[in-house]
Amino acid sequence: MEAAVEKVVAVIMVGGPTKGTRFRPLSFNTPEPLFPLAGQPMIPNLAQVLLIGFYEERDFSLYVSSISNDLKVPIRYLREDKPHGSAGGFYYFRDIIMEDDPSHIFLLNFDICCSFPLHNMLEAHRRFGKMGTLLVIRVSAESANQFGELVADPVTKEVLHYTEKPETFVSDLINCGVYVFTPEVFSAIQDVFSCREDIVRATAYFDFFKRISKDFVRLDQDILSPLAGKKQLYTYETMEFWEQIKTPGMSLKCSALYLAQFNFASPHLLATGDGTKSATIVGNVYVHPSAKVHSTAKIGPNVSISANVRVAAGVRLISCIILDDVEIKENAVVMHAIVGWKSSLGRWSRVQASILAEGDYSSKLGITILGEAVTVEDEVVVTNSIILPNKTLNLSVQDEIIL
Amino acid sequence: EHFRMKALILVGGFGTRLRPLTLSVPKPLVEFANKPMILHQIEALKAIGVSEVVLAINYQPEVMLNFLKDFETKLGITITCSQETEPLGTAGPLALARDKLIDDSGEPFFVLNSDVISEYPLKQMIEFHKSHGGEASIMVTKVDEPSKYGVVVTEESTGKVERFVEKPKLFVGNKINAGIYLLNPSVLDRIELRPTSIEKEVFPKIAAEKMLFAMVLPGFWMDIGQPKDYITGLRLYLDSLRKNASSKLATGTHVVGNVLVDESAKIGEGCLIGPDVAIGPGCVIESGVRLSRCTVMRGVRIKKHACVSGSIIGWHSTVGQWARVENMTILGEDVHVCDEIYSNGGVVLPHKEIKSSILKPEIQKFQLKLNNKKE
Repeated sequence: MEAAVEKVVAVIMVGGPTKGTRFRPLSFNTPEPLFPLAGQPMIPNLAQVLLIGFYEERDFSLYVSSISNDLKVPIRYLREDKPHGSAGGFYYFRDIIMEDDPSHIFLLNFDICCSFPLHNMLEAHRRFGKMGTLLVIRVSAESANQFGELVADPVTKEVLHYTEKPETFVSDLINCGVYVFTPEVFSAIQDVFSCREDIVRATAYFDFFKRISKDFVRLDQDILSPLAGKKQLYTYETMEFWEQIKTPGMSLKCSALYLAQFNFASPHLLATGDGTKSATIVGNVYVHPSAKVHSTAKIGPNVSISANVRVAAGVRLISCIILDDVEIKENAVVMHAIVGWKSSLGRWSRVQASILAEGDYSSKLGITILGEAVTVEDEVVVTNSIILPNKTLNLSVQDEIIL
Repeated sequence: EHFRMKALILVGGFGTRLRPLTLSVPKPLVEFANKPMILHQIEALKAIGVSEVVLAINYQPEVMLNFLKDFETKLGITITCSQETEPLGTAGPLALARDKLIDDSGEPFFVLNSDVISEYPLKQMIEFHKSHGGEASIMVTKVDEPSKYGVVVTEESTGKVERFVEKPKLFVGNKINAGIYLLNPSVLDRIELRPTSIEKEVFPKIAAEKMLFAMVLPGFWMDIGQPKDYITGLRLYLDSLRKNASSKLATGTHVVGNVLVDESAKIGEGCLIGPDVAIGPGCVIESGVRLSRCTVMRGVRIKKHACVSGSIIGWHSTVGQWARVENMTILGEDVHVCDEIYSNGGVVLPHKEIKSSILKPEIQKFQLKLNNKKE
C-alpha cells in the first residue's frame, strides 16, 4: 500500500568543528562541488533543504547562499548550540523540519559521496510503507567494520540486525548514511528518551546516566539498532559508487566520481570547448556559469570550477577543485589540488601534488590544499603541501604544512 | 706591438663536472653566453695581438680540430694542440709545449685556465709585467670564502708575492689565484717534463726569489667548470656586457634585466625573458614562456606556457607545454621534457625523454633500453 507523497524535506547533518579540525585549511572537508545533491536532477516536491550542525553561522552563510542559488530551493542552516549526536540535532529541530508538513524526510550525512538515488529510494520506501528506508551497499569484508554493518532479509529487505563498527564480521552490507523517513521517526526518537529516563530512575547507575546529556541521541546505536527486526526499517541497495570523504585527498577522487556521473546523467551540465571560441576542455569538467575562463586555457580532466572564478590566458588545470572567487593568472598550472575560496595564483605559479609515484615515500599526501584567501606569488611552486588560510607564499615549498 | 706573443690554454681533461653537457661536446666547445668557452679566451688573446695559441689537452684532439680550423680562419690566429699522454698536472703541460712557446723574440707568454671567465684585462697585465721587471705575473681575484682555494699572500704596495697558502684554516688573505699568468720564457727552465703543480712547486720558488708579482683582477671572475658556477658566471658576464657593450643585449617589453638572444632565435607573444638568460641560435621560444637565470643552447624549443629558471637546456632539447624546469636542472643534448612535467634539479643524460616529474634533485637513472625516445 503506497503512502501518498506530498511535500519532501531534505535534512543534511554537517557536524561541526572539533578540537582537531580547527586547524584545517578549509572550513569543511566538503567543498561546494561535492555538496550532496549538487548537480542532481531535482527531487520533485522538495520544499526545503535544512543543514544541521554546530559550525559558526557566519562560516556557513556564504556556502549556503551559493548552494541555494544553484539548487533553486530554499536552504537554511540550523545551528545546534552543542552537539546532540547524529539523531539528536535532527530531533531538536523537528518543529522546523515539520513546518511544511512534509510526508517524507530525507536524512543525509554531509561527508558522503554517492549517486544519491533519492527517487528510487523514495519509491521503494513508499512500497514498504514503513517508518524508514536506509541506503545500503556491499563492500569488501575487510573494510566493512569501519561502518555500520547490517543484515537484511533478502526477500522483504527488512533490516534484521544492525551494529556499528563491530569487531568481528557481521555482514558485508553497510549503512551508507542516506535515509528516508516518515515523520513517525520523531516518535521513535522520543521513545528512546523516555526509555532512558526510566533506566536512570530505576537503576543504581543514576550518577553515570546523569552525565549523558538527556538529548544526546545517536542514530546508529540509539535508533537503528533497537528498531532492527521490528518491521520498521527497510533497505534499498545501491550498485553505484559510494565513498565516505574521510581525507582531503578523497575529495578529488569523489569530485572525479561526481563529474563522471554528470557525464552519464546530465552531460549538458559539463563544459565543452576546443580552444577556438572557448577554452580547450579535456575529459569531465564543470564550469560554473559565472566563472570566466580564457580561451587559451586548457582545462581537465576532472576539474570543477566554482562561481566567479577567473582563469587567465594560458592556464592549465588538471584534476582539481577551484572554489569561489579564485583568481588564476596567466600561464599558471594547477594539478591535483584544491584551491580555497578567494585565493589568488600568480603568473607562471604552480600548485601541484604528485600522484603517489613508485618508490616516492616522501609525498604521502597526493594532494595540495590551499586554504581560504591564500596568495601564491608569480612563479612560486607549491608541491604536496597544505597552506592554511590567509597566507602569502613568495617562496616555493614542497612537502610542508604552512601555518 | 705584441704580435709575436704566444699563449697556452690549459684545457685539461674530460670536463666531468659539466656532464651531461660534456658527454656530447668537449668542454672547451661548450657554449657560454652563446660562444664556445674557449673562444672567449682566444678572442681576448687575439685582441691584444697574440699570434699563436697552444691548447694543452689530455684527450684526443680530433673532435676539436674542425672547430679549431674554423676559429683560425675567422680570427686569423694559429691554434695548435699539445696533447699529454699521461697527466702532467698544472705545470707539466708547459714543459711539453716548450718548443711551441719559445722563439727567439724573448717575449713573455700567457697561460690561461680554460674554465675561467673574466674581462681579460691582458693589456694591463702586460704593462704591469713590464713595470715590475720580475720573471712572472699572476692575476689574483678577491673571493668571499678564500679557504676553499689557494690563497696568494702579497706585499700590498708592489704586488710582490710572499707566499702561497693552500686552503688556509685561519684567515691569511682573501686573494686567490685567478688562473691567468704572464711568464717569461725563463720560467720554462724551472719546469721538468713530469707531473708538476705550478702553485705548489714552480711559483713558490719564483716567489722565494722575489720575482713573482700578483695583480688584482679588475672586474668579474668565475670558474665556470660546474653548473652552479656556470649559471652565476652568466650573470656576472652579462652585467659586464651591460657596462661595456650593452647594444648586444636584448631589449623589448618582454625582456627584464640582462638577456642575450642570438639573432636567429624566435620569441613568441606574451613571454617574459630574464634576468640573466642566454638564448642560442635557432631556438624557438613559444608564446607565454617564462625564462630566468638560464641558458638555452642551440636548436632548443621551449613550448607554450612553460617556465624555466636556474637551469641549462642542452642542444636540440625540447621543454613541453606548461612544463616547469628549475633549480639547477641540466638537460643534456636532445632531451625531451613532456608536457606539464616538473623538474626540480634533474640531471638528464642525452637522448632521453622525461615522462614523469622529478621532485627532488637527482640524476635520471641510466636506461639500458636502446631507444628511449618517442618517434
